[in-house]
Amino acid sequence: MEQTQVRRPPRALSPQRLVLFVFMFAALAYPWVFRLPFQRRLMVVVLLYAMLGQAWNILGGYTGQVSLGHAVFFGIGAYTSTLLHLKLGVTPWIGLPAAGLVAALVSQFVGYPCFRLKGHYFVIATIVLAQIVQALFTNWDWAGGALGLRLPLLPESLLNFQFFSTKLPYYYISLALLAIVLAVTYLLEGSKAGYYFRAIKEDPDAARSLGVDITSYKMLAMAISAFFTGVGGAFYAQFVLYIDPESVLAFKTSVLIMLIAVVGGIGTLWGPVLGAFILIPLSEFTRVALGGAGRALDLVVYGILITLVAVFEPRGLWALGERIKALVARR
Amino acid sequence: MKRWLALLILAAMMVAYAGRDVPAAPPQVVKIGILFPLTGPVAATGVASVNAIKLAVEIINDKYPDLKLPLAATSGLPNLGGAKVELVIADHQMNPELGASETERLITQQGVVAIIGAYASAITETASASAERLGIPFLNDQSTSPRLHRRGFKWFFRTTPHDEVFSDLMLRFLKELNEKRNLGIKSVATIYENTLFGTDSSRTQNNFAKIYGFQVVANVRYPNQTSDLTSEIQSLKAANPDVVLPTSYISDAILMVRTMKTLDYAPRGIMAQGVGFTEGSFLPTVGRDGNFILSREVFADDLRKSKPLVGQVADLFKKRYNADLEGATARSFTAMIVLADAINRAGSTNPNAIRQALLATNVPAEQLIVPWKGVKFDQRTGQNVLGDGIIVQAFDGKYQTVWPFNLASREIAWPFPSWSRR
Amino acid sequence: MLQQIPQVVLSGLLNGFIYALVAVGLTLIYGVMDIVNFAHGEFLMLSMYVVFWLYTLVHLDPIFSLPISVLVLFIVGALTHKLVVRRVLKAPMSAQIFATFGLMVFLQSAAQFLWSPNYRLIKEPLLSGRISLLGLSLGKPQLVAAVGALLATGFVYWFIERTETGRALQAVAEDQEAASLMGINSDRIFTLAWGIAAACVGVAGALLANYYYIFPTVGTVFVLMAFVTVALGGFGSVPGALIAGVIMGVVETLAGLLISPAYKQVVVFALYMVVVLVRPQGLLGEW
Repeated sequence: MEQTQVRRPPRALSPQRLVLFVFMFAALAYPWVFRLPFQRRLMVVVLLYAMLGQAWNILGGYTGQVSLGHAVFFGIGAYTSTLLHLKLGVTPWIGLPAAGLVAALVSQFVGYPCFRLKGHYFVIATIVLAQIVQALFTNWDWAGGALGLRLPLLPESLLNFQFFSTKLPYYYISLALLAIVLAVTYLLEGSKAGYYFRAIKEDPDAARSLGVDITSYKMLAMAISAFFTGVGGAFYAQFVLYIDPESVLAFKTSVLIMLIAVVGGIGTLWGPVLGAFILIPLSEFTRVALGGAGRALDLVVYGILITLVAVFEPRGLWALGERIKALVARR
Repeated sequence: MKRWLALLILAAMMVAYAGRDVPAAPPQVVKIGILFPLTGPVAATGVASVNAIKLAVEIINDKYPDLKLPLAATSGLPNLGGAKVELVIADHQMNPELGASETERLITQQGVVAIIGAYASAITETASASAERLGIPFLNDQSTSPRLHRRGFKWFFRTTPHDEVFSDLMLRFLKELNEKRNLGIKSVATIYENTLFGTDSSRTQNNFAKIYGFQVVANVRYPNQTSDLTSEIQSLKAANPDVVLPTSYISDAILMVRTMKTLDYAPRGIMAQGVGFTEGSFLPTVGRDGNFILSREVFADDLRKSKPLVGQVADLFKKRYNADLEGATARSFTAMIVLADAINRAGSTNPNAIRQALLATNVPAEQLIVPWKGVKFDQRTGQNVLGDGIIVQAFDGKYQTVWPFNLASREIAWPFPSWSRR
Repeated sequence: MLQQIPQVVLSGLLNGFIYALVAVGLTLIYGVMDIVNFAHGEFLMLSMYVVFWLYTLVHLDPIFSLPISVLVLFIVGALTHKLVVRRVLKAPMSAQIFATFGLMVFLQSAAQFLWSPNYRLIKEPLLSGRISLLGLSLGKPQLVAAVGALLATGFVYWFIERTETGRALQAVAEDQEAASLMGINSDRIFTLAWGIAAACVGVAGALLANYYYIFPTVGTVFVLMAFVTVALGGFGSVPGALIAGVIMGVVETLAGLLISPAYKQVVVFALYMVVVLVRPQGLLGEW
């Protein structure tokens, strides 16, 4: 765990760097190889959920506070940018960071009661708070209520944050957002705050006795996590152009965000990315191949696979990769 | 070694599907995209609707000379050299984002020339926006939110009447009933689920109650798929309206009837906004307790008396899928026929030609299994202007037409009898 | 409005017993092994289908098929432990959540695959109709369900507190290593706990099936309330689950009447948040 603390300066062309560069190149080149809107759209969703999973990971993975209520931040983000645009005509480019800020602010109100709780009490409290927020939005007519909010179709332009003829801008914006979250996580890993986060997860009592202000650092992790989840929500709203409480605030959104991180590997930099790259296409392909029959066979397969991963590699697929690497190295 | 199993399966699935690419559409086949919820709480309706569309396609593709439907007598689409209609079915799982992305997949990857869907208004909202941008006709068969056809879309068409038409006819019916039988119905109350469907329905019912001179004594909004409706029914009891107007999906509809019975609450009339109360499995499920409920509807089996076509199609459907045709399935069936007719008249699979043909659609009432005056789309909004509804009442586990009075096969039973005297 | 209150409180009370019974199984598993079972609602669904099919295929009334449902669910619970849960005992909490979450998705969709997404109802159960008492209406099936739930909860409590096996269960929950030194096979105890927990919803499902509709995702209607019930009562506490269930049932219906049905769950959840602010371990829980 402490390995990341004493990070050796990487050599000019270490294998890790090489792999990283290959991936960066592949990410930049993808939409030029796969030109169909559907293929690009799928990858936008993958990148968005990779970002959301990593945002969750900052709180749930590194700090060990397992939240099943991240839909609150996602939804608040989506509603913030959408309402700003509809009611005040604010451009989504301001709406995006504003969504993050509002979500981070809300997270502090969520954190106050929840961080008094431990373990499963914390999990249930986050679920309950998310349910309350969803019910409030469903009954709040000014914010569209159950009808939801539709963003008007504007002429497509970078300024309007709307693109129809090509999905390229959406793709590169989501890629940039993911890159930012990854960079922030990377920096956190090596920072004092990141060290405290892990200390809180591994042994809160020891951390406290060493003088770490546990609640403040939990609040900080929550704020960072909520900020990026909120930004992701705003991007979603801008991408789908229609939001309602059921699609952005519901329990299933919280579950999916967490699932991405857990299946990929919590507390790792690349785990959530791996999780998104496997889970989203997996559910897409099983649904396309089996879902049309109307017998839910796709979800049967999906459910079995999730259970299998949890049973055979509880630390996530990233750990499986590490294991393979170790196996290869031993030879 | 077991640990590798999970990864192995994952990898196998990826490889199996990664190779799939755009299949070149073979000639003589016209692909239509079908987008419905096929998993989750409303899967039952989604699956039934798709079945109805499959039956319509069978009638179009094979020869059914006895049926007075467009394209029934011939095999395939004659103006396209007898091309067969082929369905590409997709599940949107009630997720607006999936609705949009599945629409794009159907269009760009499967090469469908038009889409029928998507049951829930929230999904139709995003799915039709995707079709709009890609310039492919989107024919909406069942969503009833009035907002949908007012978006100024070029490629959106809707065969079903929307909530305003339905709420209008429900309250107009009450007024006519009052006048005909001098029943002194003065007050109504809405009870509705809190998502888009219920909220829109209650709002329009309030508007038309005012127009037709009824007092709304309560609007009870409850959370969709609740575990208990006691306090909701008690609130209605306290408000004591003459007629209760429920808007619910099927699970809540079943629970509502059971709760009313348990609490011994029987208003003078219960008139539902279709959907949960008219879905095929509702009456079989609640049994005798469903009797005497009124509902607005777009289909009733007894319409076969005045229109033999209804009986023929309903019997075929029963034979194939062992289920009764009802409002949802009859509308999906109709949409498929209307679309195929338009494509045939277009004589090509060019989207613009299909759109022009849809705009020129004029299916007369005789060729429909639903009690509409026909199908003719508004040139600007794409809304069918000839859509209409009926009021049905349940007798012995079957809905029968009671209004308009000239189509009625049975006299209305009024008031709703108390639970102990039935 | 005021004269409706007794009726609403009474109905809420009856619902509360069912919430409690569903929650008892959850809280038992948690108490013994620190795991929250997200597939608990699906166990409820399975038991309702067991009862439904017995009614439909061999015309066995839910009252008589209740023991069969209990037995089947006991086996399902024990199997769940043997096949899935046993392997994630040492895993991080997030992985445990997902093992049972995957199971939930699997059971829901398997039910749709096997039995179609249609809604079902047991049409003419022996238990039907209602009793009128002092102007209050009581559904007989609801009344029997409440009494049954109370008895089942009491039985589980008695079993844990008063029997030899129950004490072994407590010993394992307290300290697994010490228990194994005393010669208690903890894996056996865990299997038993899962069996009993599932058997509890086997009772609840059979009782509910008398008046509630049945479909593949019916579990989700109840399971959220069950989670909150468990946390409110205190994880691991059977009496806590009973008290919490009753409180939530009554508050829910009362809030529906006096505030607005649209906010009835919000009020229940807000109440939960207030309680855990004061008592983070729930009403009767221990840290």
